[in-house]
Amino acid sequence: MTDDRSLIDHRRYRLRPLICLSLAVSCLLFAAVGCATHERRLLAIRDGFYSGDLIEAETALDEGLKRDRRDGEVLLLERSIVDLAEGRPKQAEAALRTVRDRFEELEGARLGKAAISLITDDTYKAYCGEDYEKVLIRAFLSLANLLGDGQDAAAYALQVTDKQQQIIEAATKDGDGNNPKLAYKQVALGPYLHGLIREATHSNYDDAARASSLVVSWRPEFRYGRADLERARHGRHSAPGNGVLYVFTLVGRGPYKEEAIELPTQISLLIADRIISATNKYSLPPTIAPVKVPKIVVPPNYITNVGVSVDGRYAGPTETITDIGRMAAEQHEAIYPRIIADAVVRRVVKKAVVLGAKEALGANQATMTSIALDVVGIAWEATEAADTRCWGLLPDKIQVLRVELPAGTHVVTLQPISQYGTNGGAEQQTVTILDGRNTYLLANFPDARLVGRMVTNEL
Amino acid sequence: MHRRCFLRSGFITLAGCLGGCRGNQYAEVKQPGDPGMVGSHQAGAETWQPLMHEAVAKLLGRHAAARQVGPNGLPPPPLRICFVGVENKSSEEIGDFKDQIYEQIDTKILESQVFQPVSKRFVDAGLMQTRLRPDMLMIPANQRMFTAVMEQQGQPFDYLLYATITSGTTRENKDYQRDYLLTMELVDIHTGQYDKQAATLSKGYYHSRLSRLVKG
Repeated sequence: MTDDRSLIDHRRYRLRPLICLSLAVSCLLFAAVGCATHERRLLAIRDGFYSGDLIEAETALDEGLKRDRRDGEVLLLERSIVDLAEGRPKQAEAALRTVRDRFEELEGARLGKAAISLITDDTYKAYCGEDYEKVLIRAFLSLANLLGDGQDAAAYALQVTDKQQQIIEAATKDGDGNNPKLAYKQVALGPYLHGLIREATHSNYDDAARASSLVVSWRPEFRYGRADLERARHGRHSAPGNGVLYVFTLVGRGPYKEEAIELPTQISLLIADRIISATNKYSLPPTIAPVKVPKIVVPPNYITNVGVSVDGRYAGPTETITDIGRMAAEQHEAIYPRIIADAVVRRVVKKAVVLGAKEALGANQATMTSIALDVVGIAWEATEAADTRCWGLLPDKIQVLRVELPAGTHVVTLQPISQYGTNGGAEQQTVTILDGRNTYLLANFPDARLVGRMVTNEL
Repeated sequence: MHRRCFLRSGFITLAGCLGGCRGNQYAEVKQPGDPGMVGSHQAGAETWQPLMHEAVAKLLGRHAAARQVGPNGLPPPPLRICFVGVENKSSEEIGDFKDQIYEQIDTKILESQVFQPVSKRFVDAGLMQTRLRPDMLMIPANQRMFTAVMEQQGQPFDYLLYATITSGTTRENKDYQRDYLLTMELVDIHTGQYDKQAATLSKGYYHSRLSRLVKG
């Protein structure tokens, strides 16, 4: 009788960790549901924004900001783009500043969450932004500030270059001792903005020339770069009685992330765990669950430029100063081996935990406990989701045109241009040019149609 | 016992991870005399501050000595000086330091009472109105135009002051030494005579602590 009792107790005792593991996996499965919600929400926001229905986009954003803390930063970034399109640069700047500071805070606080993400997935971690997003936040801060009072725009523009440098310097070197982030394309918008601000002081042409030479070296394709450099070196801001209009356009639909299955890694892991299982006393859970990783998707962009006319006379097309889609794709490619490595480490940790449980329970291969633990292990691995959080309302390209105009009021017309010619309706905006000063205009053309309104710094 | 150990250590690891460490930003107020930070990749306050102090002090000292009490026993009126700007010709971005260098030099000149500087706001307004670049003011016609505009603003001046930052780099394998030079150039607009004062500072940049120990 006593022996029976002790046997039952012993079995119960042995099963307790198994129950704990099962409970943990159930909780993780429940938590993983949240990630799908983010993708759905981003879809609703993007659909609303691109169709010009900013109210729908705002409703989806507000809903998300109320409910989801882990996506809070990303949603604030989307909010800033909607605010800019709606002509609320101050709100956009406030949102961007909040996210910039939060990302900075998270850069130094990832140790604990990174450890947790080893037993869950990357979606568990608070999102601290992709490198290109961190740099672009500062570029958009500068733009938003220029459309407001412009007092901090130069500081934000300097931060663009600083941040790029910090990111490259802080990068972990790969196995060959190379820094993968050295291949990053630099964001020429930062020095461009700094240069135009310094040029407008009429006394810091050396800064403007330095900034322009950075623009030319970072983005040699920028058509107006050489003329800007020449003007900063030997020319002047504008002729007496004239001012300058800068037309910034956010063109095309920007990059976003999608979940993809990394099949070669999955097969390699499966082969490895089968070899270990065959030669070991305890088996490893087979890698049946797919290895999910985020992939950058850059939608096709049909709008090549935006034609600018002033008072009925054609002034020229806007030219790309920053190609966000290309930059995001190239950066993702540079860090892709690291993403795969993280996914592999996560799998190894999970398998090690299950193996540890088997050893603790003495669950040899082909026993019921071993099979049950394998099932738990597979289910645990299957809860993984790729971290697809991203700044989803970024444009594909940021373009600019500089036009020198006589001081006074002018009517500016913008018309998107595709490779087949002008495309979509022309949009008009009245601007006031001040003698010796810069005036800024920003418009959103994700497609052939203006989204929101044209925003100037005269509001 | 084995299982208990396994579960306990697992729990402790998990709790430790959950606790994590928050990434807070910290700051402190530096008191005068406290050691400041040294820019590891480019010049910072540790470079610009001594250069500024030295160059301005030497320039003002020389002119203060030359301006003795006049025959009527009264000190001569301060000379009006138009500080046009700081020009960065070095190989480094000086970013937000540029405006600070200007302001500090301007303040020191004002405090010296040897010179009476024209406010930067008037200088900027004058340059904007004439659309002249600071480096174009040495052309006589441009200088006359600029002087006339400044006089219209009630800001006549006797001297033009330029500050220029230059650098020279010497490399030794992965390490390098950079010599920074701040030059203050004072031009008398009435006679065309000029005075110059420079301060220099050398800084070594090393790729590792060991390299700094060996070469520093």
